[in-house]
Amino acid sequence: MNLLELKGIKKIYQQGQVEVPALRGIDLTIHRGEFTSVVGPSGSGKTTLLNLIGCLDTPTEGKIFFDNREIEKLSKEELALLRRYNLGFIFQEYNLIPVLSAYENVELALRLFDDIKEIEVEKRVKNILEAVGLADFAHHTPGELSGGQQQRVSIARALVKEPKLILADEPTANLDSKTSEEVLEVMVEMNQQLDTTFIFSTHDPLVWDYAQRIITLKDGQIAEEKSS
Amino acid sequence: MKFLSKLAAKNLFRNKLRTLISIVVIAFAVMMVVVLRGFVLGMIDSMFELHIQYNSGHVKVIREKYEQKQRLLSLNYPVKGFENEGIEKMQQQIKELSEIKETIPRIKFGAAVSTKNKLITMMGWGVNPTKEVNFTDIEDYLVAGRMIKEGNKEIAVGTDLLTKLDAQVGDKLTIVYTTSWGSFKGSTVKIVGELDSGFKLLDEKSFYLPLSQAQKMLVLPDQATELLVETNNYRKVAKVMPDLKRLFQSQGVADDYLLKRWDQGNSIIQYLQIGRKIYNLIYIFVILLACLVVINTLLMIVKERRSEIGMLSALGLKSREILILFILEGLVLGVVGSFLGVIGGGIATKILSIVGIDYSAALADMEAELLMRPIFYPQFKMSNLIFSFILGVIVTTITAVIPAKKAADLNPTEALRN
Ligand SMILES: Nc1ncnc2c1ncn2[C@@H]1O[C@H](COP(=O)(O)OP(=O)(O)O)[C@@H](O)[C@H]1O
Ligand SMILES: [Mg+2]
Repeated sequence: MNLLELKGIKKIYQQGQVEVPALRGIDLTIHRGEFTSVVGPSGSGKTTLLNLIGCLDTPTEGKIFFDNREIEKLSKEELALLRRYNLGFIFQEYNLIPVLSAYENVELALRLFDDIKEIEVEKRVKNILEAVGLADFAHHTPGELSGGQQQRVSIARALVKEPKLILADEPTANLDSKTSEEVLEVMVEMNQQLDTTFIFSTHDPLVWDYAQRIITLKDGQIAEEKSS
Repeated sequence: MKFLSKLAAKNLFRNKLRTLISIVVIAFAVMMVVVLRGFVLGMIDSMFELHIQYNSGHVKVIREKYEQKQRLLSLNYPVKGFENEGIEKMQQQIKELSEIKETIPRIKFGAAVSTKNKLITMMGWGVNPTKEVNFTDIEDYLVAGRMIKEGNKEIAVGTDLLTKLDAQVGDKLTIVYTTSWGSFKGSTVKIVGELDSGFKLLDEKSFYLPLSQAQKMLVLPDQATELLVETNNYRKVAKVMPDLKRLFQSQGVADDYLLKRWDQGNSIIQYLQIGRKIYNLIYIFVILLACLVVINTLLMIVKERRSEIGMLSALGLKSREILILFILEGLVLGVVGSFLGVIGGGIATKILSIVGIDYSAALADMEAELLMRPIFYPQFKMSNLIFSFILGVIVTTITAVIPAKKAADLNPTEALRN
């Protein structure tokens, strides 16, 4: 079943007088449970594409269907709710809140849910921290954790909601290759265990191997597509 | 919402110095408001009270025609009761009305004493000593001797006047005056008390004489030049006015008599009441100044946390919730700062309310008519602390909307781009 469908997506940024075309016509379908990698050099439009899929921005042209809903038709509030319940984000900079512990950073995602019980929150946060191998670091703040550990907290934060789709924009760019592999292994494991759909971007060829499907972007267009 | 509050509170520990500066600035502003307001309220209320005690009562009953001649201390238009049956009966009838506590008759008259080389003019106060002591704080100002007693032919004199007269407590003095019949007379009285009130009018010009003596000397049997009415609460004087007016109407003397409320017909008092309101704007302004620092701090915070704001909207926070998060940070600053400010301001006013502020030097050149105490005690009042706290919290929270709006309006993709 299709989770996501992009049809003729174009994105043009307006920079003063200049128009910067970031995406020049993307057609793409993502199926449930896929583990997809978007690769390409810096400036090829990876972030732009992920932001559009993540409903953080709207395309200049084209249509996006998420779970058969056309996102163009949703209000800002509805988009926020769609992100809240269906999407998880992992960022290159981790974007953890420094004054919250690992536990609280993960908890934050669930606290936004309207109808969730206290015990449920506790159980899910504990389980996910254990799954990403951070059970012993629950009460450490980000400053007390290594880069790899911080990225695992951010993976836990994205996963704890059990979202339909997780978007990771260059999640390993700030990590050394060994830690990168560890982090990717966690993602693959979660993909297999929970059947969560993943899309991650990278310009690091080492990382490609983990993906089932590789989409190569060049100058805002899909230059190549491979499935393994 | 609970989690957002917790996050807002924790966020303030991210840059402790900056948070501390904001809190100190708010605390300082709120403290200033507490002290300033204690000072202003204390000053204005004390001026109201003095005006009431020595001038207006809560309501002053005088003859319509006396109003124009008041400054001349005329004896031609005395209060002489309904149907001229005397003020004794009139006082009883007024006291029967509800909310009326006391009536205080006074005869104010001009008198003089001639010394070796000059004539010293004075203002005599014919008063009922017991009522006067109850209604005013005159007894506190006795520096020598005692207060006058009803029936005796004795006076208590302002301290500066006593110096001018070159007399002291225990001396006898012959005063001259004009009676209500217009004849010129003299009486010898004994000085039994010396008053040092700090008010020029009392200290330099006035002497107190028992009412019965004044009535006899001036030929004003059972009469007074003015009758003050004391109610249970001078701020609620409006409530008793209809009853009073009805009484005077039913007696058929409504046209002859004037019922003057303490807060009407006196421009100084009216200015003071407007002043009180203007000061409220000044308090808000003081806190607004402090809020400039808070706005600046919060704007810096918003700028620094751009990518975090982007992350939060990616996480699914609505812009309204981001707005609330930042307003809450402002609120916490406001609450902590205002609380500390109120404590500091409370301590400061408490001390000042005991020590007092002496500005007799500033008053030296003022008119004698203006009743003002030379040492002034700011008021320490719980309501002032509560007012200042609430004002501090509200103003900071409202101003926090500006930076919070900025955060809420951030485009998430822009916010996430570095
Ligand atoms: N907000 C923006 N305003 C203007 N140009 C932008 C903006 N975001 C991205 N771009 C431009 O769009 C192109 C694609 O950028 P991006 O999607 O970030 O690529 P990548 O993530 O692959 O490095 C680049 O040329 C970039 O400069
Ligand atoms: Mg990018």
